[in-house]
Amino acid sequence: MKNKLIKLREEFLARLAEVKNSEHLRELELKYLSRKGELSEVLHGLKELSIEARREAGELANKIKGELQEKFLAISESLGQGVEKIGASDPTLPGEKFPRGHLNPITLVQNELEDLFISMGFMILDGPELESDYYNFTALNVPPSHPARDMQDTFYIDHKNKDGEYDLLMRTQTSPVQIRAMQKYGAPLRALMPGRCFRNEATDARHEHTFYQVEGLLIDKKINFANLKSLLEIVGQKLFGPDTKLRMRPKFFPFVEPGNNGEYTCFLCGGKGCRVCKNTGWLEIVGAGLVHPSVLRAGGIDPEIYSGLAFGFGLNRLAMLKYNINDVRLFNSGDLKFLEQF
Amino acid sequence: MYISLNWLKDFVKIPGKTSAEEVAAALTSHTVEVEGLLSQAEKFSQVVVGKVLEAEKHPNADRLRVTVVDVGTAKLQIVCGAPNVAAGQMVAVALVGAVLPNGLEIKEAEIRGEKSYGMICAEDELGLGKNHEGIMVLNNKAKIGQSFAAYLKTEDIVLEIDNKSLSNRPDLLNHYGLARELSAIFNLPLKDYDKFFNSDQQKILMGLDEKKSGRKKSLVEEGAKSELEVKVEEKELCPRYLALRVDNVKVEESPAWLKERLIAVGQRPINNIVDLTNYVMFDCGQPLHAFDADKVKKIVVRRAHPDEIIETLDEKERSLNEDNLLITDGQKALAIAGVMGGRESEISPETKAIILEAANFEAATVRKTSQRLGLRTESSVRFEKSLDPQLPSLAVSRFLALLKKVCPEMKISGHLIDINNTKNEIKNVELDLNWLEEKIGQEIPRERASAILERLGFAVVRGEGDFLKINIPSWRATKDVSGKEDIAEEILRLYGYDNIPSCLPALTIAPPEINEERRLERKIKNILALKHSLNESYNYSFVNEDWLGKLGIDFLKHLRLANPLSEEQTLLRQSLVPGLVGNVKSNQAKSDNFGFFEFGSVFFNALGNLRKDIDPGSRILYQEKRLGLVLADDKDEPFGRLKGMISGLFQELIAYDFETEFLIPDIFPAWAEQSAAVKIIISGEEIGVVAKLSDQAKTNLNLKKKVALAELNFTRLAEILSAQPTATFKEPPRYPSLVRDLAFVIEERIGYNELKKEIAAFDSLVKEIELFDVYSGIKLPAGKKSLAFHLSFRSEEKTLTATEVDKIQERLVAHLAEKFEAQLRDF
Repeated sequence: MKNKLIKLREEFLARLAEVKNSEHLRELELKYLSRKGELSEVLHGLKELSIEARREAGELANKIKGELQEKFLAISESLGQGVEKIGASDPTLPGEKFPRGHLNPITLVQNELEDLFISMGFMILDGPELESDYYNFTALNVPPSHPARDMQDTFYIDHKNKDGEYDLLMRTQTSPVQIRAMQKYGAPLRALMPGRCFRNEATDARHEHTFYQVEGLLIDKKINFANLKSLLEIVGQKLFGPDTKLRMRPKFFPFVEPGNNGEYTCFLCGGKGCRVCKNTGWLEIVGAGLVHPSVLRAGGIDPEIYSGLAFGFGLNRLAMLKYNINDVRLFNSGDLKFLEQF
Repeated sequence: MYISLNWLKDFVKIPGKTSAEEVAAALTSHTVEVEGLLSQAEKFSQVVVGKVLEAEKHPNADRLRVTVVDVGTAKLQIVCGAPNVAAGQMVAVALVGAVLPNGLEIKEAEIRGEKSYGMICAEDELGLGKNHEGIMVLNNKAKIGQSFAAYLKTEDIVLEIDNKSLSNRPDLLNHYGLARELSAIFNLPLKDYDKFFNSDQQKILMGLDEKKSGRKKSLVEEGAKSELEVKVEEKELCPRYLALRVDNVKVEESPAWLKERLIAVGQRPINNIVDLTNYVMFDCGQPLHAFDADKVKKIVVRRAHPDEIIETLDEKERSLNEDNLLITDGQKALAIAGVMGGRESEISPETKAIILEAANFEAATVRKTSQRLGLRTESSVRFEKSLDPQLPSLAVSRFLALLKKVCPEMKISGHLIDINNTKNEIKNVELDLNWLEEKIGQEIPRERASAILERLGFAVVRGEGDFLKINIPSWRATKDVSGKEDIAEEILRLYGYDNIPSCLPALTIAPPEINEERRLERKIKNILALKHSLNESYNYSFVNEDWLGKLGIDFLKHLRLANPLSEEQTLLRQSLVPGLVGNVKSNQAKSDNFGFFEFGSVFFNALGNLRKDIDPGSRILYQEKRLGLVLADDKDEPFGRLKGMISGLFQELIAYDFETEFLIPDIFPAWAEQSAAVKIIISGEEIGVVAKLSDQAKTNLNLKKKVALAELNFTRLAEILSAQPTATFKEPPRYPSLVRDLAFVIEERIGYNELKKEIAAFDSLVKEIELFDVYSGIKLPAGKKSLAFHLSFRSEEKTLTATEVDKIQERLVAHLAEKFEAQLRDF
């Protein structure tokens, strides 16, 4: 066995030294180094040896194989070409793979909205996720007996005040930032307030107790309903395309008067009706209205001098529509197979 | 809520050419969202009228019959179990394929050896009552083969209305209220509600004012039972209470028209008395309750005693407290006010006389009681919206008018008791039309505004100049409408939101204040995702004891939710680490190596710096925004890579040559492997921690990967970074450097930073210090390690000679030998 190997080595090296061109080289590769070449054949014979002999011969065989491959490679490079493995000359092969990271789709949609509103002169503001009952409800014109404060909707913190009441909670909406913004900046004011919100409701493909909103607030002298409508039209056109139309419906939100929901023509069917818009042609996207005078007062702004408009979007819904995501729980799942797609 | 189109037509004449879809669209555009339309006829699809031709005894079963029924298109053999089936009857036949209102699907069957191709239906199977005594025998108007819906003349269409969109409207949870809206939207006349009382009932109502008018209570029958005693102890919680005794009632099944309407709005018919109270509630919005008069000698409205028990109509025992209002007989509880009646005084087939209750209960009390008991009823959802205190008397009259129809022999006994503590004042609002125009962005002519308001029941009293003085109707004045903004909404929604032209606000151009923190957050996200290939995770803000325990984290100081949704999420997170470790666990089977980062808030039981309420000194709890990172790897420990990533991040954010320091922490995070844990120092300040996840935690959590984590206080980091001067360009060196490679053998305990600082401070000509090798092992004495550096020596004034550098090097080696007992190592 040993002798065979040594002989093979010498033979190969001698012929390699005579190689003149790549064709020649290729022949050599096939004869000695390929899967069915002579070297493989010799190595195949190893298994017939005793364990002791096999180890010794194996070591030698590997050494020789390494040497031969190295020398073959050197010659082949000197001939001005790489090792011609099958297909290696195909320039349409994919390039090298590079690792990539991914942003959460909520971040992507939020960035898009932030940029739009910054371009229209809005500040971007944050607020605390653990809020007080006062900022989350009372200041927003939701009196203590309003059903929106019921325990089933709100996560309360097990931390009682001196009257023995739970007065801290996980904010149910980004709206408390409206009050904090008014108190800090006064009027006039233009602000966009994105953030994480919480509702105490069971989760399924369409419901999530932790979700994301973006809320906008504009306060100035003589802000009116026509302004609100116009602003929402621009937002719809930016989000869903220049032909998007808006229609507004009455809807009750305690912190605005009048209160509306805004529907846009479905971006998929253009209003004809399809699966996404449940055949109505319209998508309910935005809640909006003119800021209620008691909300302005709670923020320290005189409603006789200033008026305001406010509107809010669900970021989860926007991202689901944009990327055709069918399960709201995916956003908080930390699932690589989900995140990798963005 | 379900609203019947036919029922609406009692009050407003919707033209025949107006389709149900148009009605729904109009309501959605101007009042409330209609979520769907249900055709009543669809409920009976595949149910037809048939004639029983034969009804023979089943050969193999005594109680069954084998019938042949002509349904027009065929003569079907049907096996029937009803005792009353007989040849010649006209019956309702559910064909094979029909799905009945009770959910039963009809299939071809073989019953005891006889084929059956359909079913002859009983009332309850058709959802028309609870009669299951026998099959429903149809009257002589029935025609063979006719659809059953056509026989019933069930052409009604039911509107399904989104309750949430009317949570501010106490006046809309009924047909009359919505008919009023339709009359205003379509500009159609609305019938007065009192048109539905006959003169007798009106007289009863007038009898109410007996004291004022001095008139005799003409309608009370001769020999009427003695007057009922009613006492309201809680005037605030029960501003109005009406009670009336009616004798000679016969409790029986309701007539078809009554049942049909209740079924249409999703109610199960019970008996004529209960059905009528429900009917009136869906008619005008006032919940009514009927007691069996024999069980009620007296009525006292009072608060419940602590732990007082009542068995309610749903046969459940309810334990009450002093916040709950009760209707009692002076001792025993008869009903939970505004929520549900009691079982004991329930109307039964034996009931001969009733006491009718029509009351006004305070909204918050009803709401709290219903919430605490977990008992939301048709009554409680109406009371909790603050009902019109004028409504009870209208409802009583309507009830009596209908009762006369259903139970002609009934007798009113005693006169109507009305304990009224409501202030009967008319509220009004002044509206400046100029203000209105400013608010809407378009002029609404006075006539138009007035007409809209009047159609909705507001009374417009023309004031001076551009002012309108408007009286608010009682059904809107309880909570819903109080100011000019509310009036503006009424005008706007009926004028039509779609009729207002849009117009951008005329605002001064002003660049917005930049939110530097958020700008930085976005920048870091991009660096981490796009450059370092990490994935952005959004983990829940809630964690649980078990998970924290496995990570070795003390959960006792964590804030708790008072009402968690599940055992998995009971505590508020104080770190992003538990969530990120969770991300590793849930993905470890999907990928060999990966990393995540997260920006998120953490919460502590300590006062923060944001205000809590109207008191400027009040504070909510402390929370801060953090940045967390995790790397997981099958082969190599990612601790070093993570430190490198963080150094790289700060070089990107601060300056290309910025150096992040990693020092041994004063306190180790509970989850960290102490031998591989450091604090991160930026500009001399501790900003976070990087560490390997402890083997103990990995075992506890069954993690297969090598894991390193980092967590930084982002709020503070943003402040530090904003204080950093902009990195400016540095002139490239004019003279070349001389590089020497030196390896120092030192004690294991001496940190890299210590040695490096000493070298850097030694001589100003030492310009760069780059660690290139660390070794400890058999070639060195135990407890020693070797740190090898490339040291660059350079002068700004000249080219250094080897001799000059040799001298510095010599002194440096001597200095380090003295300071650290460091020895130069030969390569």
